[in-house]
Amino acid sequence: MDSVISKIAYPKSDFQMENFTNETIDTTQLPRFEEVLFTPLHPNYWKLTLIHLFVLFLILATALGFGLIFNAELIPYKWNLVIAAAVLMLLVLMFSRIAFRKKGFAFRNHDVLFRSGIIATNTIVIPYNRVQHVALHEGFISRILGLAKIEIFTAGGSSSDIEIPGIEKIQAENIKQLLMGKIQKQL
Amino acid sequence: MKADFSQPQRQSSIGVLIMFFDTIQEYGRALLPLIVIGILKFDNTNRLYIFLSIPVIFVIIGIIAYLKYLHFTFFLDNQNGEFVVTEGVFNKTRTTIQLHKIQQVNIRQSLLQRIIGVHALDVDTAGTNDKEVSIKAVSHELALNLKSVLLDNIRITENGKVASESFDSRNAISEQPFISISFLSLLKVGITSNYIRSLGLLLAFFVTTYDYAIRLSNHGIIDEDQFINYFDKGFVMRFVGILIVLLLVVILIINIFRTIIKFFNYQITKQSGSLLLSFGLFATKSTIIKPEKVQVVSVTQNYFQKKFDILELKIKQATNGEKEARKQAIEIPGCDKNEHIAILKLLFGEMPEKGFMIKPNFRKLGFAVFLTIVLPLVLFYSVALNGSPNLLEYQYGVAVYVVFMGIIQYFSFRNNRLFINDRFIIKQSGAWDISNEIIEPHRIQAITTSQLFWHKSLNIGSITLHTAGGNVGFQLGNFEKIRNYANLWLYEMETSNSNWM
Repeated sequence: MDSVISKIAYPKSDFQMENFTNETIDTTQLPRFEEVLFTPLHPNYWKLTLIHLFVLFLILATALGFGLIFNAELIPYKWNLVIAAAVLMLLVLMFSRIAFRKKGFAFRNHDVLFRSGIIATNTIVIPYNRVQHVALHEGFISRILGLAKIEIFTAGGSSSDIEIPGIEKIQAENIKQLLMGKIQKQL
Repeated sequence: MKADFSQPQRQSSIGVLIMFFDTIQEYGRALLPLIVIGILKFDNTNRLYIFLSIPVIFVIIGIIAYLKYLHFTFFLDNQNGEFVVTEGVFNKTRTTIQLHKIQQVNIRQSLLQRIIGVHALDVDTAGTNDKEVSIKAVSHELALNLKSVLLDNIRITENGKVASESFDSRNAISEQPFISISFLSLLKVGITSNYIRSLGLLLAFFVTTYDYAIRLSNHGIIDEDQFINYFDKGFVMRFVGILIVLLLVVILIINIFRTIIKFFNYQITKQSGSLLLSFGLFATKSTIIKPEKVQVVSVTQNYFQKKFDILELKIKQATNGEKEARKQAIEIPGCDKNEHIAILKLLFGEMPEKGFMIKPNFRKLGFAVFLTIVLPLVLFYSVALNGSPNLLEYQYGVAVYVVFMGIIQYFSFRNNRLFINDRFIIKQSGAWDISNEIIEPHRIQAITTSQLFWHKSLNIGSITLHTAGGNVGFQLGNFEKIRNYANLWLYEMETSNSNWM
């Protein structure tokens, strides 16, 4: 069974004896991160992904074409190669779509959540009082589409940083302001 | 009683020797490839030149060392409250440290310094991870005086006036080590740890020697037929037996030597709430552990070590964003049960207890077996059956591998546990060396939960706790419970102040 928590582990140095209360927390009443509704990424981000994939496929197709022109030994297998390339592209497209659909973010009162992953669903939660700094990133194409990427850094190294791509520029600015405000308040 | 440091002064005159060896080390490293090539490549006349030039090189290094000694001065600028060190023969460097910024002053001694009878003094400030200034050769008395003068200034700036006498006496007490690890403990550590790493080193050694032997035989130095015949038939079995015994002995000896060289004279001193470690036979290293910066502590022990009553502590501290430094854990080898309890109490304020236990699902064992046994077997047999049937002669090796791997995977599954109580999260793992990683919930930076889509109905999943000292992860436990604890930890992190460091 879940243990009933009788005290919160307050850090030693921050003890303030005067207004210190120590009530029992009912763990079943705690807000649950798994019930949060996630905001999906902006539809334009799918367009951005398609553009990136198109460039990638173009390079792949050109390579295949050159291979067929300059290497005569490959010609008997040309249909096999073309079909293999087509299947590969289709698979990549499909997985990109799933990845896009699965990505989502949420901002709660005290923390930010980001969900991603194709086979496994990963959810990362960063409390605002652990955020070190926030960065806004715009790529060349994403700027044309009016999108921006928010990067949220903690002291826990690169595996605990959040990158939320595909947020509308204005919304991203607002989120950044919100986060900065939250961080300032913590200090 | 206090010595006067207001005038620039040099190190002890015998310090020239330290400078000399330092310089040799410095240039030696750069020149080593040249020297090796010189000895191997050149014929006899050239070799003569090289041997003749060695005394000349030594004389030159001696002169450089003397000049370095002459130009290395330090003094205390009382007016500006600064400690000033000037060094360099042609390129002068003047390092100025403001006294109130000094965090630590360490006195240490390497083997060479012990022989000559001088001490080194390092000054550490808050700014960087590295020590700012290192004075390499001063007498013990001068070192102690300088240390107390330097630290005295911190006290005064920190809490107005503090009687210097009381500080001196306190300082003298703290010079007594709180824990010192005996030679015997180090021997025990050497015998019982790092089998795999030493095996790897040995294997690398054998491969290179074998490679070398083959190359020699190709050059016709060793007759190839003779070389092959030498390893023949019944002799091989006996040879392999002897080789294995020899291997074990060599591993043990290497281990013991490495442990002693690395950790000789390991001393832990308490110093105003933090722990000061110093160790090493040839080069003495010293590190500071500040309890408020400790993120992850792991306690490792294997079966033999349990019998010997020794265990190994690894402590990971938060650093100022320097990535390579964060990966490096501070090791405390060979402390016994009481010492380990004392250290943990000092770091955490109490001895961490193991609380509620979460076990991994049996699928974790299944996955590990698939990855380390099934997959390699499939690969082996598909290669062996399609084209290289002579591989099948090594089937007994495959059987040994399967049994060995199976045992390792079984035990690492059985030992894999997550213990949770109000103040501590302890992750236990390992097949032979069983380690317990201890973190406090308020040190967590971020939490990642993860679940494969076909595990949803089984209600199992994984969690990773990110801290500034690395990640702690637990796979395939009861996902409902894991998420409940994640919610609880988030609540604790968000309601308490952010003093994870």
